[in-house]
Amino acid sequence: DRQTLVAVLQFLRRSNLRESEEILRREARLLGDDLGAAALSPTGTGLLGTAGGDAESAGSDALLSRLLLYANAFAVGGGVVVEDQPDVSAVLSAYNQQGDPTLYEEYYSGLKHFIECSLDCHRAELSQLFYPLFVHMYLELVYNQHESEAKSFFERFHGDQECYYQDDLRVLSSLTKKEHMKGNETMLDFRTSKFVLRISRDSYQLLKRHLQEKQNNQIWNIVQEHLYIDIFDGMPRSKQQIDAMVGSLAGEAKREANKAKVFFGLLKEPEFDVPLDDEDEEGENEEGKPKKKKPKKDSVGSKSKKQDPNAPPQNRIPLPELKDSDKLDKVMNMKEAARRVRLGPECLPSICFYTFLNAYQGLTAVDITDDSSMIVGGFADSTVRVWSVTPKKLRSVKTAADLSLIDKESDDVLERIMDEKTASELKILYGHSGPVYGTSFSPDRNYLLSCSEDGTVRLWSLQTFTCLVGYKGHNYPVWDTQFSPYGYYFVSGGHDRVARLWATDHYQPLRIFAGHLADVTCTRFHPNSNYIATGSADRTVRLWDVLNGNCVRIFTGHKGPIHSLAFSPNGRFLATGATDGRVLLWDIGHGLMVGELKGHTDTIYALRFSRDGEILASGSMDNTVRLWDAVKAFEDLETDDFTTATGHINLPENSQDLLLGTYMTKSTPVVHLHFTRRNLLLAAGAYSSQ
Amino acid sequence: LGRVRAAELSGAFPASQVMAQILKDMGITEYEPRVINQMLEFAYRYVTTILEDAKIYSSHAKKSSVDADDVRLAIQCRTDQSFTSPPPRDFLLDIARQKNQTPLPLIKPYSGPRLPPDRYCLTAPNYRLKSLQKKVSSSAGRITVPRLSVGAVSSRPSTPTLGTPSAQAVSVSTKVGTPVSLTGQRFTVQIPSSQAAVKSATPTTPTVQNVLINPSLIGPKNILITTNMVSSQNTSNESNPLKRKHEDDDDYDNL
Repeated sequence: DRQTLVAVLQFLRRSNLRESEEILRREARLLGDDLGAAALSPTGTGLLGTAGGDAESAGSDALLSRLLLYANAFAVGGGVVVEDQPDVSAVLSAYNQQGDPTLYEEYYSGLKHFIECSLDCHRAELSQLFYPLFVHMYLELVYNQHESEAKSFFERFHGDQECYYQDDLRVLSSLTKKEHMKGNETMLDFRTSKFVLRISRDSYQLLKRHLQEKQNNQIWNIVQEHLYIDIFDGMPRSKQQIDAMVGSLAGEAKREANKAKVFFGLLKEPEFDVPLDDEDEEGENEEGKPKKKKPKKDSVGSKSKKQDPNAPPQNRIPLPELKDSDKLDKVMNMKEAARRVRLGPECLPSICFYTFLNAYQGLTAVDITDDSSMIVGGFADSTVRVWSVTPKKLRSVKTAADLSLIDKESDDVLERIMDEKTASELKILYGHSGPVYGTSFSPDRNYLLSCSEDGTVRLWSLQTFTCLVGYKGHNYPVWDTQFSPYGYYFVSGGHDRVARLWATDHYQPLRIFAGHLADVTCTRFHPNSNYIATGSADRTVRLWDVLNGNCVRIFTGHKGPIHSLAFSPNGRFLATGATDGRVLLWDIGHGLMVGELKGHTDTIYALRFSRDGEILASGSMDNTVRLWDAVKAFEDLETDDFTTATGHINLPENSQDLLLGTYMTKSTPVVHLHFTRRNLLLAAGAYSSQ
Repeated sequence: LGRVRAAELSGAFPASQVMAQILKDMGITEYEPRVINQMLEFAYRYVTTILEDAKIYSSHAKKSSVDADDVRLAIQCRTDQSFTSPPPRDFLLDIARQKNQTPLPLIKPYSGPRLPPDRYCLTAPNYRLKSLQKKVSSSAGRITVPRLSVGAVSSRPSTPTLGTPSAQAVSVSTKVGTPVSLTGQRFTVQIPSSQAAVKSATPTTPTVQNVLINPSLIGPKNILITTNMVSSQNTSNESNPLKRKHEDDDDYDNL
């Protein structure tokens, strides 16, 4: 409400209703210390100093800008992040017009000339200004209905932009009128948010000195208005370094955005007795002693009695308790883990590919259970089909009539309640009214989630193969959904640019993660279930804290919408894949990019780490599966103070060394990857005859 | 099937050539040939709708001919109606802030399948059986089920795990006339007295009850409530998988 008050004040001032303005100001008791602080801020003095050009418009512009600053100061004082400011900026931007629209081309070409003539070391950094300035100035012209100027501005300068912005430019070229912008939320958000640039202090001084000259103050105003320049002390970055990090719709991430502490460690596994049974083929147990027939403790949990400082406290977020069936599952998991193949560069996994034939329905989503017993496919004809991967057929619970006939006291009552007559390898689930874009099995294999273009997320029971709940919240297509590794919670992300955290027993979301500028295309839980990673069409990946909904990390660097995310099993690293064909590796703790895997030539739709994190598998639309050496990729990480302070990265060009193998399919794009508990790689895709 | 490169498409009609050009400008290079027809149809329908609306607005304003303002107004109205866009960012940030302030709710242990209240689930029966005959019994604490001879309809008798099959009739509260037919056996349900108290709180209607009002007490749902009621009061645990399955019985269509 403070923001709206400021906006109203500004409107009154603009309409020259001085008395009303004074009365409102007095009544709201707005001004005071906050104003004083804002006036002293360096950017404030910078702005007030520039009063050249057309006196009247510049005067009101300066005033408007000052008010914006005050609004920002209020917001900061109120404990709200400056970013969440769009109330005021959206309202004010309707009235705000920087400089003379007919001269925009002059401003831009002037700046372009200056940057091109600057020293080599500064040029790369200052060239980052081109794209955001171009888009913002163009949008200003369109929003203020200077159509012909906008058109000629676009014609003249769109060719100068970097190649990876081409998609954005194409969208821009179709926006020629203010009304066109109304429907495009992404562009509206872009207009009201500040594009973040990271520039070294030297380059920034150079720029500032040039722009504060009298004839350039208009473009200086524009720069101040739309760009947030995050200054760092140190060497200016090279073009290569910059190119690795830029590409997102919001610029790069401010350093503060990646400074929050993230608990990336894993939760402790509960200790319980593991009964050894006779069929166990292990010759020796772990200590190397001959097998003893007595239950041994779960050694995984008891390894370190101390709390891992990087792991979240056990009760940081409420998690469901372990049921007996879950404990049995864990025992099975550990038995399988003992038989797991140790992967590495010398020992690559075998890959078993499940091809969906005759999927003229359009395969849009695939998931496989953790124990690899069932595979589900979501299709464009709105069906969800579940297959059994093992010879064991899919059975549903008998009808109540039949249930009444069984002997409830028998030992195998759990088998008797299953209906043999309708057992089949395939079960089809009908219910959605649009293509199914995401599917996810629950860890206990009792439930299945599916999300669809109809805006709902549906929970299906895998015991009766019927739909239990439809979660409505997104009113627009939901692109991805996933169960938490502990069950009970699930996350969904969609076209409305937010990701939502749900619990199966609440019909409304528990958390809403808002902040992306464009659709949320991919959502994944961290192995400790305390954080959620979201990849978006605005080419950023954000990490959110489940406890309070805050965005704790922003990763930029992809040049296209992100379609796949994978956390490493130890929880420290994140791998992301996008339409640009690159896989980027991120260190969550430090918030830095630590690797780039080049090789794919088309969108990467599937990413998966092997069970112990030694191999990263990626599957793409270019019909290949590639295996990368994850151990080597993460091994020489130095926690260099310089690196972490400035965020500089020096990525080695080692994609070729890390690539362990490329496996082609017969014109089948790879949609899903899954490592079984024994480290066999399963892949899935639909055969397409082109 | 049939995805064709744009170059191969030769528009016989100038309109389809224009449409192909538009698609190319938007960066779409591969599409089925029917897409052009669909786009042309859409464009035609959209333009005619707008122009018709504009004509109405202009005649309402008593103007002699349709001008740009009318068209603009027509577009605006139609956009708000048919082409909705997601909420703006400030609104999203606002509701996110509100939602994220409430702490995460604690999880009740041992509560069976964790589903929202029945009202928000899709587990209620979506059919209702016609009753031919109603038998009303006034025994306290028992459920009466009127006997029907409707064809092949089979019922879901109440919790088989709880009671032992006996020759006695299962009673549904007379307040809700549940038209459920039974197959061979009938069961006694031992209902703790507190459950009867709960049941008396439900609205009383002697006639056949609308499924929606009291889904919990009608036929299939019988199981749901009784299971929950009893299990919440019983200290003895049935095995969890069984409990879960009974609740999921509800939707199973055996007709």
